[in-house]
Amino acid sequence: MQAFDCAIIGAGPAGMAAAIALAKGGANVAVLDRGARVGGQIYRAAAASPLPDASVLGPDYTAGAALIAEFNRAEITRFTGADAWHLGDDGRVLFSHLGDTHELHCREMLLCPGAMERPMPIPGWTLPGVMTVGAAQVMLKSDATVADGAVFAGSGPLLYLIVAQYLRLGVPVAALVDTTPRQNYLNAVPLLPGALRQAGQLKKGLALLREIRAAGIPQYRFAEGLEILGEDKAEGLRFTANGQPYEIASETVFLHHGVQPNLNMTRAMDLAHRWNPQQLCWQVEADAWGQTSVPHVSAAGDGAGIIGAEGARIAGDLAALNILHRLGHLSEGERDRQTAPGSARLAAMAPFRAFLDRLYRPAGAFRLPQNPETLVCRCEEQSLANLRAGFNQGARDPNALKSLTRCGMGPCQGRQCGHMVTGLLAEWQAEPPEAVGYYRLRSPQRLLTLEELSRFQAVPAPAQAEAAE
Amino acid sequence: MKADVLIIGGGIQGCATAYHLARRGASVILLEKDYAGRHASGVNAGGVRLLGRDMAEVPLSKASMEMWQTLDQELGHNTGFRRQGVINIAADQTDMTTLRAREAKMLAAGYTHERILSRAELLDRLPHVSRDCAGGAISEKDGYAIPYKSTSAFRHAAERYGAQIIEGEELIGLRRIGAAWLAQGARNRYEAETVVNCAGAWADRIALMIGDNVPLSHAAPMLMITARIPHFASPVVGAVSRQLSFKQFENGTVLIGGGAKGFADRASNRTRLDYAKLACAARTTAEFFPIMRRASINRMWAGLEAYMPDNLPVIGPAANADRAFHAFGFSAHGFQMGPIVGQAMADLVLTGRSRFDLSPFRINRYDRKVL
Repeated sequence: MQAFDCAIIGAGPAGMAAAIALAKGGANVAVLDRGARVGGQIYRAAAASPLPDASVLGPDYTAGAALIAEFNRAEITRFTGADAWHLGDDGRVLFSHLGDTHELHCREMLLCPGAMERPMPIPGWTLPGVMTVGAAQVMLKSDATVADGAVFAGSGPLLYLIVAQYLRLGVPVAALVDTTPRQNYLNAVPLLPGALRQAGQLKKGLALLREIRAAGIPQYRFAEGLEILGEDKAEGLRFTANGQPYEIASETVFLHHGVQPNLNMTRAMDLAHRWNPQQLCWQVEADAWGQTSVPHVSAAGDGAGIIGAEGARIAGDLAALNILHRLGHLSEGERDRQTAPGSARLAAMAPFRAFLDRLYRPAGAFRLPQNPETLVCRCEEQSLANLRAGFNQGARDPNALKSLTRCGMGPCQGRQCGHMVTGLLAEWQAEPPEAVGYYRLRSPQRLLTLEELSRFQAVPAPAQAEAAE
Repeated sequence: MKADVLIIGGGIQGCATAYHLARRGASVILLEKDYAGRHASGVNAGGVRLLGRDMAEVPLSKASMEMWQTLDQELGHNTGFRRQGVINIAADQTDMTTLRAREAKMLAAGYTHERILSRAELLDRLPHVSRDCAGGAISEKDGYAIPYKSTSAFRHAAERYGAQIIEGEELIGLRRIGAAWLAQGARNRYEAETVVNCAGAWADRIALMIGDNVPLSHAAPMLMITARIPHFASPVVGAVSRQLSFKQFENGTVLIGGGAKGFADRASNRTRLDYAKLACAARTTAEFFPIMRRASINRMWAGLEAYMPDNLPVIGPAANADRAFHAFGFSAHGFQMGPIVGQAMADLVLTGRSRFDLSPFRINRYDRKVL
């Protein structure tokens, strides 16, 4: 059994920044990440890109290499390829590494589960050939692979970024179908002055849009009524834009309309959550330093509310300083002094985030399925009509609906359908999302073979995994 | 709100009691503090088992098993019941001796529903079982059902006959005034001639309000279920002397039980899991069924269940009050008995009698006059 002052789950920007600060502050810290390399989604392979020139991915990505290098130099116990399947509020962490379960204990726990893409349940969204832009990013960052002639549809910065990255690499793009509603531009105007305080960010975004426009690929705005064409696999995208119907043939359709916290870690620990009306998603309740409803469990980064990579680094740093205080390494005054600049920086970033959230707020018709045949739960193949039938049979709670229809029972454990189920039940009962709630989740947080579980006695000596290169 | 009968608890016993009472013309209000089927009745392993029952339970369980065969038609809702048989595996000759002694006892009592399987018969029924097993016993009419669906089926059938199922309503207080029970809920007040306590892991608290003390405890039996795997076992599997219990559903998922208990936190409606014990259940399963090694566990959970010291339920009238009845404490094997318990409770409420000998289940069986 190894015991640590702090265990950090997830080595993205928040987890790495926190680990560096904790190590500097004299804490004995362990970092677990399921990836073979640290970096999380945003800095995936940033220190070892398979691309001949990673600069096409943009400076926000290449900045990750420096953080990874600093992380690797720090005195941190690193477990890569370590998939945590149970996090206990007693400080016990059970994780799989090379097919065996190991256990460690920690006084403080910092959860950095990151974000996942908001599902876009348009008709046909589950057909082969339909992917998220996150998947496009993984292909690009990890394997330097791309899809020729793809359609990109949806809304939000990440969508425009991947299109720009494709164009820089010279990959043909069939079309960019922008679903940002016309009304959003008007709604976002009042927040523009606040956003202008981060003029650099705004300029960067505008430059990206200009870059795409200059490339001359077909672009459609204010698209509605999206539908994937094809029976067994994607053959294209149908939509209307400005009253005109369009069909674009393509074997690959990348969808994206924003990201949301990956809830499974924080929910399985039964931490208090609240509905974030600005970002239309659940997020764990946490104070200014990321401390949750369980005082020795903190959360930082996009997994605790979407703030972006830069915000995540700062949030990780703040959480670490508070944990150092809780561990007795920093006085309260010292913590407050050291966290002040980061807190101020986060506060300064908030107006720009609010502007983005308002501008790229996904339309209800893309957040919740509209067609009775559209699948809500991919794992158990439960359609909107099935869920409605379950609701009509009296299931008013996400867990009752799950028990009745199997929606959310599959291997993804509700990651995909959870927000949709909250949204649908809220709509059907005309209740706020808080009144509806979410699934009760449990460990294991991922599939665990019977063989691995059967070999788990109580406390095998954990072998430290190879550190990332 | 007024009714003839007030039922506390929306598990399968409460919903089945509501159904039988409402069908026979009684007005019924059922209070459920969470939602119907939220606890043990909705999250149990779904075993519909007559095999290996305590002798005291056999008459009820046998009658219930007959009801399960046609329950979907009767209720007009899908319970997910599948008659697949239940087999208890004998790991060795000691287990076979136990089974033969049980067989003699059953035959002497006139029961023929359990049958001993030879080793060859066992291997024929369960081709993937370890070759080391000695044999087993089977009950052919047994099987499994989907717990939440079954509880919901009773609930909807009860509602069709006019029963009012009120969810999210916790019973705060209960008083007997003259010929009426006055119940104070968190939101409303209720009045009824008769009260029926089907409150599961919370039933001792309701019994106290009625005036009966009962040595009820509660625990959190744990379950785990795999992702889908190719079909390899049709009967529900148990074991004579090992903590082995699983069933493979039609969709390929395998539900593993075995009775290992986690940690029950009744006050906060929560349970916690004991992973070392689950690992033990995984080991036993993989030992008896090597094909299961490759299976992936998808979810683990536990439910809050009520236990009596003798593992037999309380079914019958209150000891210290008129027009009050109990049905609780099923000690992790009450799901199968739901249909008949509902009927028996309706008999007790409406006629004061039951065709079954309920004396082994009386609430005051642990009362002692002299220490």
